[in-house]
Amino acid sequence: MNQKLHSVIRLFSVVLSLFIYLLLFVAGSAYAHGVELEYNISEAVQVTARFDSGTPMADAQVAVFAPGNPAEPWLIGICDSEGRFLFVPDPALPGLWEIQVRQAGHGGLLRVEVAEGALTQSTAGGFSSTQKAVMTAAVIWGLIGTAFFFSRRRP
Amino acid sequence: MKKFMFSILAVLFIVLSLLAAGCAGQDSAQKEGQQEDNGTESPAEGFGTLVFTANGEEFIREGFLSKDGWELSFNHAYVTMSNITAYQSNPPYDTEQGWEISYDVKVELEGFHTADLTDPDSDPAKLAQIGQVPSGHYNAISWTMTRAVEGPAEGYSLLLVGKAEKDGQVIYFTLGIEQEVDYLGGDYVGDERKGIVAPGSSADLEMTFHFDHLFGDGEEDFDDEINLEAFGFDPLAALAVNGEVNADLASLEKLLSPQDYELLLSIFTHLAHVGEGHCLARFVN
Repeated sequence: MNQKLHSVIRLFSVVLSLFIYLLLFVAGSAYAHGVELEYNISEAVQVTARFDSGTPMADAQVAVFAPGNPAEPWLIGICDSEGRFLFVPDPALPGLWEIQVRQAGHGGLLRVEVAEGALTQSTAGGFSSTQKAVMTAAVIWGLIGTAFFFSRRRP
Repeated sequence: MKKFMFSILAVLFIVLSLLAAGCAGQDSAQKEGQQEDNGTESPAEGFGTLVFTANGEEFIREGFLSKDGWELSFNHAYVTMSNITAYQSNPPYDTEQGWEISYDVKVELEGFHTADLTDPDSDPAKLAQIGQVPSGHYNAISWTMTRAVEGPAEGYSLLLVGKAEKDGQVIYFTLGIEQEVDYLGGDYVGDERKGIVAPGSSADLEMTFHFDHLFGDGEEDFDDEINLEAFGFDPLAALAVNGEVNADLASLEKLLSPQDYELLLSIFTHLAHVGEGHCLARFVN
């Protein structure tokens, strides 16, 4: 009798689990206002536009021109309150991308190189060779100093 | 002995690392050169027409409120240009490069060209056109704002004739600018792209003059950058005799304070634009 009761309880548990599963995954997808979110990781261009005074060009108009078609914007948009605008260029269109930013009668044009899927800002930046050399030497010297420290004679 | 060995090693490491960094620098420099090559556009085949225009925008055609509250209207705004040259620059010119510009195609418009930018039809004012120019994107332009050799603006590179009103006071002014200025600008920045000559068709290239840089813009905040750097009209109003100001730079140098005169002179280094894009400027003589 007791064994029979256990069997019934086990069966009830299985049925209940199945019901909850169906409720969550089947009925849920049928009736809830669900959303489907996907993502992919891409290289993007973030433009930051400021006036000479350093004031962000908030809400400035942006027009992006793909290589080979300087007459028709590939994308148009608006900067945020900090003068920033983000877009992902089509890697299938390598070459010089042009980004025009305008506000209140002032504007400028920025060019970004997209070569074989890699982004390169057309204006030079980063560290100079001298800076790199000094940094490399500093790191090496630090390693040597550490070696000296551990190799010293202990009293 | 051990210490000596470490010293030798230390020197060796530093020399090697410096060499390695130097090579890395060379490598990246070569890559930058390659990227420039990739970004170049060879001139398109065919020929078209390039139209040269000048524009003073609504400010000069319709009048505007100066930063110090003068309602300005203009009867004439004669600007004279020479040495007008359009480029298919490669790599595309940017004013940060300075006066060095490399190009695939250069088109020069000969002669002196004067436009009255107040003309209602001067939106923009057509100066001249050249046919049979190589097609492609003319993405840079240089010119000299030069003294007119004949006509109503003779002797002046810029001549403004108009009226200023404020609190019931009316001042008629004639302001002649003798100073000649070289300008070099990159791609036109505006609602539409300009200078793109397709085979068999025409395109215009504009030299734009922003007169709010001279008088300021009363529609903007007083501490807006455009107003902080502008000359305004008050210094000229202070020179009015019987409601008139007739002055040129030579007389203003004597009549204005040294600070006001320097400010006025500096305006002409940022008066010219290509649409909304700034130009490089330098005084001639």
